[in-house]
Amino acid sequence: MEPSRELNFDALVIGGGIAGLQAALDLADQNFKVAIVEKDATIGGKMIRLSKVFPTLDCASCITTPKMAASAHHENISIFTYCDLTSLKRDGQEIKADITQMPRYVDADKCIGCRQCEYGCPVYVPNHEEGNFNFRKAIYIPFSNAIPQIALMDVENCSLCGKCAKVCPTGAVDYFQQPEDFVIRAKTAVLATGFKLTPMDQKPQYGGGKIQNLISSLDMERLLAPHGPYQRVIRPSDGKEPDSIAYVQCAGSRDKTLGVPYCSRVCCMYAIKQAMLLSGALPLADITIYYMDIRAFGKGYEQFFQNAKAMGIEFVKAKIAKIEQADNQYVRLRYEDQEGNGGVVEREHDLVVMSLGMVPDWNPAGVCDVACDTDAFIKSTIPSLAPTVTSIEGVFAAGVAIGPKDIVDTIAEAGAAAMEASKYLNALENPKAA
Amino acid sequence: MSTKKTAETEEPRVGVYICHCGGNISDHVDVKKVAENLEKVPGVAVAHTNMFMCSDPGQELIQEDIKSGKINRVVVASCAPSLHETTFRGAIKRADMNPYLYEHANIREQVSWVHHGEAATAKATSLVTAAVAKAKELEALDPIKVDAARHATVIGGGIAGLRAALDLAQRGIEVALIEKSPFLGGQAANLERIVPTGERAADLIQDLAAKVMADSRIRVYTCSRIVKSEGYVGNFKITLKTQPPDSQADLEKLQEVAAKGEKPGRFVPFAGFLAVKVPTTASEQVLDSGAIVFATGFSTYTPRDGEFGYGQNPEVITLPQLIRFMSQEKSRGRSLTINGRTIRRVALVHCVGSRQIPGIHEPDADGGLNEYCSRTCCAATLQAASEIRERYPLTHVLEYYRDIRTYGRGQEEFYERASENHVMFLRYEPEDPPQVERLSKGNFPLRVTVKDTLTFGEALSADVDLVVLSVGMVPSRIADLVDMMKLPVGADRFLQEVHPKLRPVELANTGILLAGTCQAPMDISEACNAAAAAAAKATSLLSKGYVELDPFVAQVDLSRCKGNGACVAACTVDAIVMQTVEVDGQSVERAEVNPALCTGCGVCVAVCPENAIDVKGWTLEQYEAMVDAIVAD
Amino acid sequence: MSADKANSNKGKILILATESCAYPGANSVGQAHSPYPANTYILRVRAPVLFPEKFYIDCFRKGIGGIIIMSCGEECPYEGAYHALAKRIDNVFQMMKAHNLDIRRLRLTAICTVCNRAFLKEVNEMNKLIEELGPPEYKEAA
Ligand SMILES: Cc1cc2nc3c(=O)[nH]c(=O)nc-3n(C[C@H](O)[C@H](O)[C@H](O)COP(=O)(O)OP(=O)(O)OC[C@H]3O[C@@H](n4cnc5c(N)ncnc54)[C@H](O)[C@@H]3O)c2cc1C
Ligand code: SF4
Ligand code: SF4
Repeated sequence: MEPSRELNFDALVIGGGIAGLQAALDLADQNFKVAIVEKDATIGGKMIRLSKVFPTLDCASCITTPKMAASAHHENISIFTYCDLTSLKRDGQEIKADITQMPRYVDADKCIGCRQCEYGCPVYVPNHEEGNFNFRKAIYIPFSNAIPQIALMDVENCSLCGKCAKVCPTGAVDYFQQPEDFVIRAKTAVLATGFKLTPMDQKPQYGGGKIQNLISSLDMERLLAPHGPYQRVIRPSDGKEPDSIAYVQCAGSRDKTLGVPYCSRVCCMYAIKQAMLLSGALPLADITIYYMDIRAFGKGYEQFFQNAKAMGIEFVKAKIAKIEQADNQYVRLRYEDQEGNGGVVEREHDLVVMSLGMVPDWNPAGVCDVACDTDAFIKSTIPSLAPTVTSIEGVFAAGVAIGPKDIVDTIAEAGAAAMEASKYLNALENPKAA
Repeated sequence: MSTKKTAETEEPRVGVYICHCGGNISDHVDVKKVAENLEKVPGVAVAHTNMFMCSDPGQELIQEDIKSGKINRVVVASCAPSLHETTFRGAIKRADMNPYLYEHANIREQVSWVHHGEAATAKATSLVTAAVAKAKELEALDPIKVDAARHATVIGGGIAGLRAALDLAQRGIEVALIEKSPFLGGQAANLERIVPTGERAADLIQDLAAKVMADSRIRVYTCSRIVKSEGYVGNFKITLKTQPPDSQADLEKLQEVAAKGEKPGRFVPFAGFLAVKVPTTASEQVLDSGAIVFATGFSTYTPRDGEFGYGQNPEVITLPQLIRFMSQEKSRGRSLTINGRTIRRVALVHCVGSRQIPGIHEPDADGGLNEYCSRTCCAATLQAASEIRERYPLTHVLEYYRDIRTYGRGQEEFYERASENHVMFLRYEPEDPPQVERLSKGNFPLRVTVKDTLTFGEALSADVDLVVLSVGMVPSRIADLVDMMKLPVGADRFLQEVHPKLRPVELANTGILLAGTCQAPMDISEACNAAAAAAAKATSLLSKGYVELDPFVAQVDLSRCKGNGACVAACTVDAIVMQTVEVDGQSVERAEVNPALCTGCGVCVAVCPENAIDVKGWTLEQYEAMVDAIVAD
Repeated sequence: MSADKANSNKGKILILATESCAYPGANSVGQAHSPYPANTYILRVRAPVLFPEKFYIDCFRKGIGGIIIMSCGEECPYEGAYHALAKRIDNVFQMMKAHNLDIRRLRLTAICTVCNRAFLKEVNEMNKLIEELGPPEYKEAA
């Protein structure tokens, strides 16, 4: 298929998470024209899906939405969502990106985000955005604070009943929409493709993903979010209010056998944060964090950790050896006791959260020949003095795409990537000044 | 602007928008009821509720009402204004209305999160009604444009300062780099190889400093301090004093450098990069600068006398001292030797001067505690441990730690390497730190005893030749600058950013930015990221050649001003002067405000007997209207 | 409108809270979800030094039971403003006496952005006081 159009920008940002948004804003504020290409149907990345964020305990939405809205409304920023990046290459003086606009089966120009289609659709599908705890429709807007507010259809579950097309006030539903290829040319690019969590079923000794009431940390974020699936914290298997909740730290990180030898940097802090939020939501529940080392190293983080201890959250130094289903849908943890009298200890909890680690969301193989490290994150070629510089001239990287990090460090790094990109643009314009 | 005229001449029609905040507000405040109550308030044209006012659909609600002409004033009742006031002002602006015809009511932090039931709904109603009362009095305002010097001043010549200076220069901004010592490179000059890349700190500093020296847009002022700072974003006037070095440490370093015959332009180990000739006479100069980047860095914690035996036993040293000894140690023997003494066993103690806990640790002379983690010492200690084991296989190493925080990419490998090198790890609780005692007899000078939680809290003693304290970071002493520029400082005594996620490299003082460890402990790569982010912000501010400022400044009502001058006397920043003007053919004195200097504090407002001066956007009349609304119900 | 009248029998407390310290301090109390009496009305001010003596007296005349000025104290970002404010409040106290107003109805304090406990203490004390004192009995000065 021939690309339908070719667009030109100063800078191209791949990924619309907090790293991509911050980099785009910092470039746009310096008067460069920026394109953000996001594979998801909304910008905001992981951060918009979190409940509250450490160490300030601001609600994640309250911090992310201003940056999402500022990017969406910035005169120098264009946003392309639901796009598949098929190639990113240097082409002479430029970076050329081949992109496929995936079909939403909804005409983005016509959709007004009124959700009539969603209300009309008779098909219920487990809502992945909410940890499958509740349901969405087969045509839907991703979530209430998504940007853009444009519906998309999940063709795999659509029953082709035609209801949505009938109720849409603008006639935006289009069952025959086709993918559309286009090209973006830019002078520089910032890779901000972020992360996904290590899989739940990775470790056979942790039940291979089959244990009830053993959930991922992102699922817990949704349970804790003010507008989450149940708007309170309950045990998914039976709706019971949990009396005892446990966290398994380094579940998927610091483990060579999993190919994740590194520390994921955020899981200690998010577990402590969730524990604090839980003790607010369920004042009577016992909360235990099983850890190897508590890594509260950022500004204000150690104080946050000490507060959690003072609040009565129990910290047990132990590496969990085995996780099993116990009776009555409890979860049993087995570990070697280090602090008490030694020996193997077993404890059961209502609900257990896996503090999963981070792995890169994007595998550039076959799309872009940017060099990656053995840990699969994008390689920084000047790691100490200019951490955002990659192996391709004029291409920079920021956020978790270039190594696990929290939001504070991600935002600083995004500013740094924008600085590198703006220097690069400046040098192109004024070759002598550089 | 046409909207300005209409807004001022037309009757106010206020649009009121009340946010559920996804339950945060609506769980405790009956938002429907508040909207119904507000609909009855005179001057309110519409009152809506929405799940998330800050979302696109929420903002569009406002924009539609503006565009259809229903409203010419906006009140949003939602979370704290610090979060979304600018969001809503932006939305209004995009709908072609003046963004200052907006008032915010805080019904989350100050209502739904602290009050419940009917009282919460009643209070929300009052606060929104008061906001409407103010909104009706609002005027359209325009931001103030101030010409800005395309020049930035970077304070501190460590890695972060060098990085920021280079970044700014490469974007065409002139830079003054100010360093109090004769050397560039800061604390990194005291390091050998850095974790985790293994690069030599010397090479990194040499690389950056040489580029800085070669860049014609950067002027380096070593042996210099800021003695006075005036002005405001875009137009700072900074007085700089350069004088011959007088600190003992600097003089010693200079002597060493002279002894080696080193000339400016080269890195000198454990001193830094000698940038330019050391001045022999004092001089002062004034710089015109558009922005200031703080890169004043940190110093290492000095243990108290007797803390882990420090100061009382020569065998107790700090990690930076160990690094220095080891770099000078040329012996190729199989044991580490220090000052000729063979070290058979060494104890490394983590978290000295960091992670202090009220009630457990003793506060310092100023009553302060370093409650934070210093972030870099774990990896640095592990590196030192492995280096000792690998270079000196007969020297045994014990590490006393609380948590091993090798969080960075490539750092965990150092932990593993230390274990493979048979470094012995002992873990202590802050309540039971290792005890260091002097041995009067026997083979070893010191004994370290600890309750080791890795072996069920058993008390373990080890006799050692050397104890090394992994001291943390404390902010550099910049009290003079903090006072002079009125900078916000956090409880941890580091400089305090506006918000760690929304504005992480900015201080509340517009035009003053943060780079590196003056903000919090960080390693070199993190400090470079922060410095580049600060440079990006400074570039955004200065690249246009002007900055836009909030219009909330004092304004004289010439129809009332009688020229009595009380405001001029009251103003603490000299923003008001008396000007001679013609009134009815007569020359009279009238007050005039310099909006770029005015901070909008309002000290003049209270003293004017004629009520002739007000702060735009925060007028007395508006406050009185709010009080009337509050007492009315 | 019975719900809206819920507070009206109690005296009302006006809080003038500085934009850079006390106002975010009050928000911090909110973030901690620490409850306090609802008859409190926080007005965001840049610096309370803006208000002339008459403003305070007028508030009491209009029926406000108590006023707490929550400033930044010595940390005030506006040069010299705190000093000027302290002097102004002395004047207000004199005028209050002339108007038959208990001077404890006006408090000048410093509240930082994380001073949750200090905030709660001030608010609770003022609330107790105005319950004891009842509505202000404002009289025209002689
Ligand atoms: C459970 C949990 C809780 C957390 N809590 C906190 C907290 O309280 N405080 C805190 O500071 N941090 C927290 N974090 C960490 C925080 O989520 C990350 O630091 C932050 O989201 C990283 O942002 P990012 O932009 O780098 O990555 P992401 O948020 O992953 O964004 C990357 C974006 O790029 C898109 N993308 C990927 N590949 C492509 C492609 N090929 N083409 C186009 N687009 C692509 C993705 O769809 C995504 O939108 C938490 C993390 C987890 C897992
Ligand atoms: S941050 Fe904590 S839980 Fe996560 S991998 Fe590191 S040590 Fe483990
Ligand atoms: S980095 Fe390690 S040694 Fe340093 S303060 Fe933190 S935990 Fe302690």
